[in-house]
Amino acid sequence: MNEINSLDLKGFAINAVNSVFDMMLSMEVEISDADSQVVINGNRIVGSVGFAGDVMGNIRIHVGDDFARLMTAAMLDMELEEIDGEEVSDVIGELSNMIGGDLKSRLCDSGFPCQLSIPSVTSGSDFKIESRDWMKYECFAFCHQQHSALVEVFIKSGG
Amino acid sequence: MSLKILTVDDSKTIRMIVKKAFRPYDCELLEGADGVEGLVLATQEKPDLIVLDITMPVMNGIEMLTKLKSEPGLKNIPVIMLTAESGQDNVMQIVKMGVKDYMVKPFKGEQLIDRVNNILKLEPKKTEEAAAADDLSGKYFSVDGDIQVLVLQEKATRQVAAQVEVYLQSKIKDMIKSGINKFILNLSKVPEINMSLIKVIMSVIQNCRKAKFSIRVVGTTDLGNELKQFQETSGISIDNTVEEAKTALS
Repeated sequence: MNEINSLDLKGFAINAVNSVFDMMLSMEVEISDADSQVVINGNRIVGSVGFAGDVMGNIRIHVGDDFARLMTAAMLDMELEEIDGEEVSDVIGELSNMIGGDLKSRLCDSGFPCQLSIPSVTSGSDFKIESRDWMKYECFAFCHQQHSALVEVFIKSGG
Repeated sequence: MSLKILTVDDSKTIRMIVKKAFRPYDCELLEGADGVEGLVLATQEKPDLIVLDITMPVMNGIEMLTKLKSEPGLKNIPVIMLTAESGQDNVMQIVKMGVKDYMVKPFKGEQLIDRVNNILKLEPKKTEEAAAADDLSGKYFSVDGDIQVLVLQEKATRQVAAQVEVYLQSKIKDMIKSGINKFILNLSKVPEINMSLIKVIMSVIQNCRKAKFSIRVVGTTDLGNELKQFQETSGISIDNTVEEAKTALS
């Protein structure tokens, strides 16, 4: 348990977000100290990837509709007006997969082998996702221009 | 003869990125959304190369690769694996399975093409469309003395940006061959700034930096001020005339 608590989970996730946004979207993001104070109003989309093995966990990326469309346009090299909901959902799923994959790799390299799930995507304006009984939880926000997003990471021992 | 490239990924996004990367080349792109579709296409089409994702529903990339390697008619098809996981164990497992190469996501299309070029010889597309494209390249690119000039005179739509990107790669190769190392990007007639324009600007600058070319950007003062408002272009200094840019390059 102590080994899990000593993991720099937040650092792993921040590095993963920075790397994926820079490489795939050519987008610089700023990590915010506001943490969970950031509220995403209106329609939002949540990409989620789970990992299971010596540690179990989940990483979720909460993004407002406008930011999600901007990310999709950047990733697919399209104009905002050309994008449809299916493309937004696919891009958020793939970004979650890449960020989750990077985090999973760091966990494996830290002595916690685990497998990654296929990403899932949820969207809507009035829903809440609850996770319980986690050993370690980290949450941080990041922003690009006026847009903000929230990342949550949960892990517990899988043994 | 066109090379057949099979991309197998459950993500339409990744398939689009792979297709876009191969667009300038004489290739036929085939798409499968999981290992089962991938195996069917591989059997029917006998592709020259497979770009294969690992994590997929129905049949994952590892299972598909195992089945490919067990089929005498398919086992020699080179495979580049895509993985979101860069952990040592994962990489070792992939390497042991006899793939030609692997790429860790996130990746850029150009990086994939570099890897493919180590395995296959990709030829630039030479179709009627490409011939027309060659004519179109004169619309954007010209050489002024020892300077390569790119002029955008219209709104930078996605199509314009894609055309410029394709021509840019070949122009940079031409510049290297002919010893030209100065570039002017002239935006003085661009009517408005949008994301496609930002992408063109960033692509030109990044490609010039990579090739160690000197580059100047020409535009109006208003355009310069607007570019300063975008994080990606805030550090770019603008010359108001081509003459100013030439002086700065000399």
